[in-house]
Amino acid sequence: MNQQYILRAENISKSFPGVKALDNVQISIERGKVHAVLGENGAGKSTLMKILIGMLTPDSGEIYYKGERIKFTSVHDAIKTGLSMIHQELLPFPELSIAENIFMGNEPTSKFLGWINQKEMNKSAALLMNKLGAKVSVTKAMKELSIAEMQMAEIAKAISNKAEIIIMDEPTSALSNREVDILFGIIEELKQQGIAIIYISHKLDEILRISDTITIMRDGKHITTCDKSELDHDQLIALIVGRELSSIFDKKEINPGEVVLSVKGLTGAKFKAINFNVRSGEMVGIAGLMGSGRTEIVNAIYGLEKILKGEIIVKGKKVKIRSPRDAIKNSIGLVSEDRKKFGLVLTSTVKHNITISSLRKCSNGPFLNLKKENQIVDEQIQKLSIKTSSPDQIVNFLSGGNQQKIVISKVLLNDADIIIFDEPTRGIDIGAKSEIYRLMTQLVKDGKAIILISSELTEILGMSDRILVIHEGAIKVELSKAEATQELIMKHAMA
Amino acid sequence: MNFKKFTSPTHLIENSPGIAKYFKKYGIFIALLFICIILTIATPNFLTLQNMVMVLRQTSINGILAIGVTFVIISGGIDLSLGSVVALTGVAAASFAHPGTHGLIVPLLVGILIGLGIGVINGLIITKGKVAAFIVTLGMMTIARGLALVVSDGRPVSNLSDSFNFIGGGAFLNIPIPILLFAAVIILSSIILNYTKTGRYIYAVGGNENAAKASGINVHSIKMFTYIMCSGLAGLAGIVLASRITTGQPNAGVAYELDAIAAVVIGGTSLSGGAGKIIGTVVGALIIGVINNGLDLLNITSYSQQIIKGLIIIGAVLLDRKN
Amino acid sequence: MKKIQLASLLIIFVAWALSGCNRNQKKEIVIGVSMLSLQSEFVVNVKDAMEARAKEKNIKLIITDAQLTAEKQVQQVETFISQKVDAIILNPCEVEASSPAVDKAKAAGIPIVNVNSETKSTPNAFVGSRDEEAGEIAMEQLAKLINYSGNVVIMDGNMGQAAQIKRSVGAMNVVAKYPNLKIIAEQTAQWDRAKAMTLMENWIQSYGSKINAVFAQNDEMGMGALQALEQVKLKSKVVLVSVDAIADALQAVKAGRLNATVYQDAKGQGAGAIDIALKLIKKELTDKKEVLIPFKLVTIENVNDFLKK
Repeated sequence: MNQQYILRAENISKSFPGVKALDNVQISIERGKVHAVLGENGAGKSTLMKILIGMLTPDSGEIYYKGERIKFTSVHDAIKTGLSMIHQELLPFPELSIAENIFMGNEPTSKFLGWINQKEMNKSAALLMNKLGAKVSVTKAMKELSIAEMQMAEIAKAISNKAEIIIMDEPTSALSNREVDILFGIIEELKQQGIAIIYISHKLDEILRISDTITIMRDGKHITTCDKSELDHDQLIALIVGRELSSIFDKKEINPGEVVLSVKGLTGAKFKAINFNVRSGEMVGIAGLMGSGRTEIVNAIYGLEKILKGEIIVKGKKVKIRSPRDAIKNSIGLVSEDRKKFGLVLTSTVKHNITISSLRKCSNGPFLNLKKENQIVDEQIQKLSIKTSSPDQIVNFLSGGNQQKIVISKVLLNDADIIIFDEPTRGIDIGAKSEIYRLMTQLVKDGKAIILISSELTEILGMSDRILVIHEGAIKVELSKAEATQELIMKHAMA
Repeated sequence: MNFKKFTSPTHLIENSPGIAKYFKKYGIFIALLFICIILTIATPNFLTLQNMVMVLRQTSINGILAIGVTFVIISGGIDLSLGSVVALTGVAAASFAHPGTHGLIVPLLVGILIGLGIGVINGLIITKGKVAAFIVTLGMMTIARGLALVVSDGRPVSNLSDSFNFIGGGAFLNIPIPILLFAAVIILSSIILNYTKTGRYIYAVGGNENAAKASGINVHSIKMFTYIMCSGLAGLAGIVLASRITTGQPNAGVAYELDAIAAVVIGGTSLSGGAGKIIGTVVGALIIGVINNGLDLLNITSYSQQIIKGLIIIGAVLLDRKN
Repeated sequence: MKKIQLASLLIIFVAWALSGCNRNQKKEIVIGVSMLSLQSEFVVNVKDAMEARAKEKNIKLIITDAQLTAEKQVQQVETFISQKVDAIILNPCEVEASSPAVDKAKAAGIPIVNVNSETKSTPNAFVGSRDEEAGEIAMEQLAKLINYSGNVVIMDGNMGQAAQIKRSVGAMNVVAKYPNLKIIAEQTAQWDRAKAMTLMENWIQSYGSKINAVFAQNDEMGMGALQALEQVKLKSKVVLVSVDAIADALQAVKAGRLNATVYQDAKGQGAGAIDIALKLIKKELTDKKEVLIPFKLVTIENVNDFLKK
């Protein structure tokens, strides 16, 4: 038995009704190494992690921890043994302090009566957070923290639980580049201490940067496990999607038309004096750090954020936008960065989500024409190749990529001419990503005007015809496609 | 465009064998059927045409209320003022229904308009005032009760015209009028929820208010609609009740909202909004009605009745959720 | 800013409204009254009788509604004590839970009179009727009308309330006397007309023409039962007796639809309570500390006497 592996899982299989989520998968984790697990959504990564952490029991297969066969019956078991997971959607207790969150379920108690020793707890928490380099008071309520800070608290919690393996599920999906650097610093630190990290991400650049070993999964099967040095970017993509992708961005030269949207002196709570134009057939990128005000600007154009001053001119006409209703009437559409909050009614069906904004197209007066609706929905499902068992499927069960396609199809059905895409590919696998890029390219070709916001610089650079860089609520600089580089954008975005 | 062809499903939660699926979809129907079968075995008086008609009539008031509150609950709200609105509208309608005064139309209009008016007030305070529905309707619960007492001076309003009493006591083609009204309300509400834009918007608002707003739905007016619908139906129920007991009772309808909400929840509508069906609510109301009827038929003592009723309600919902 | 304006307007309005209550603080006699529930017609009648008598005697009444809650009732009496009223009239919600109200008044040296029902603590005086008597009178009449033999169903009030328990006791005392009276069902309809109607319908379904007589513990339930019986044209075959003699019931007796009701003298209780409170204030009361106002049977023969009242 190879002693360098702290955790080994062998021949793991797991079925859900109607789908085999895992089919004879194996994974071996080494001490002090970062082991990346890659695959499209639905490849089985999350299921495998849930099994490792005790949230699910496998149908068959064995798990060995330090050479001993184990069976977790609960997450609590796993944590006691030395496995911790930092979820993509963090699950802290928002009203409690950082210290209380870190020591939840594991509070230092006084010998007498077992009361919680508040002082001791805060002291230990502060020590842990300091070690991670976080400069935040541990008595602060969790809800007041940024996502990066919450993540640190979660990592601190894992350390306090004496975790020897920490699973990180898409830890950087909501982090700015600077915060990612800090996180990677921490991961290096953890490696030094002999802690193993299982790292799940869609971002190939990050994976190539941080990981030591890479396991690739596809359709519930283990495809390969190898050293990072054995693979390059393109090989990785090929293995993940199971086919060669010539290039994700197949953007051609375009011919912009008339100005369809212009914004003059737009000022809101988090941004001031914003001026820019967008032409039909043009894609304008907006770059900036998270919290720079970029989302607030587009939300204001869509009527979700209050406009204090300034004007919006659509196709030469000054318009007043107080709500999304006004925006839609002026043929503006938004694919929000927060799909679950603003994009979808998760409890509702694919069909109802697609048509909710444009029921007028399939109704006679107040009454719905269900036949017409089905026809429209079928068309959309096909056009955007939305993968769903039926139009009556609840959207909550679909993958992120398919959910995003539904949001896009909803906006398209509304005949929007100006479409804002705010982080359109966040949390979406590579295959769906390239489909969305192709779709956006097609829309521009068809004469739509697109505003694209993204934290992924490759995406902004690959897609945009012009790039506006936002810093602290103002446009710092406008860069043409030719002059823009990652370094230049970051330089302006950060100061 | 270079899009892929329609692809078949990959990793969906698809539910396996037939019976389990059937149960999941129709669990609450089966619960009702189950209760009926037990009662049929337990007493010969249960499964008779006469008793079935009676159960329907006894259920109709709670049923109408429950359908109204279904709209509100699907849209993510709650209405606790129903019982008091029943009393107020009943008393108000009865005050205009003395023989030889205003005929039939005036008391009906009075009852329903007062109901609608209360819905407008509830809706306005909840949407424009941004006060939690729980609080607004709790306040309205005591206000409407107080108004009912003021209007009637604390006494039942009796001596009502025959035409008014016909609504609750009469029949058309041998079918009691309350049942006909209940049926009309079921059909109308099902049409609104399933076949109109408004219905679709109600689900969207309850499912995700932010997304509904971002989809260009006028969230305020949709919420207003549900509260107006709910209180308007409570007005109708108030008229039916007053007519059925041939008096407007200021203390009628206490805790009716709880039975109505119970029917909605038993029927599978989630209290968190976004999902639910009228037919579920109807079955929920029938379960409550059948239990009340059956326990009386079996002459089970008052104390145990309450326990059994609670157990059956929880059991029915468990049966529904478990499958 | 808008909020502050609104708030100050509200304060001014409330202050103005409340100031009306405190206007004449001359040396007139003030009696605090805490009533069980002003949603009940009978209680309202007692209250009306008190108000009428108080007006005659030039007494100021502060009337509060305990809304069936003993806790609220105790608070109301505490407020009376701090207002230094001359006497308190209590229409108790509950036997045990309303007792502290009596104790507190007595401790503060303020005379307290219980009206209509009792508390565990003894007040300075009691005006009311024995609810057992109502049960007895009603059941006796019912038994007589079916020749002391047959099947009877009983509709109870809210289980566990004093009136329900005592009316049951009275009725059962009578039933015990006649071996041929059979109680085939007993169930609560919670004093409520609509509930009683539903219950009666279900009984008819269950027992059909086996039912010879119905005893409803109050008229509201009696009226509900009456409608259910008339609906299936069974009333002519079933005797129906209830208690309280509310207006609807008296009309029904007069029309020959309801066989009998029992008159509880709201006027007598209300006026009696004021009278005895006045005597206590003037320290004229010596020995007679319990005034029992009798129940009276109301049938078609004497109903006109009660309709006038």
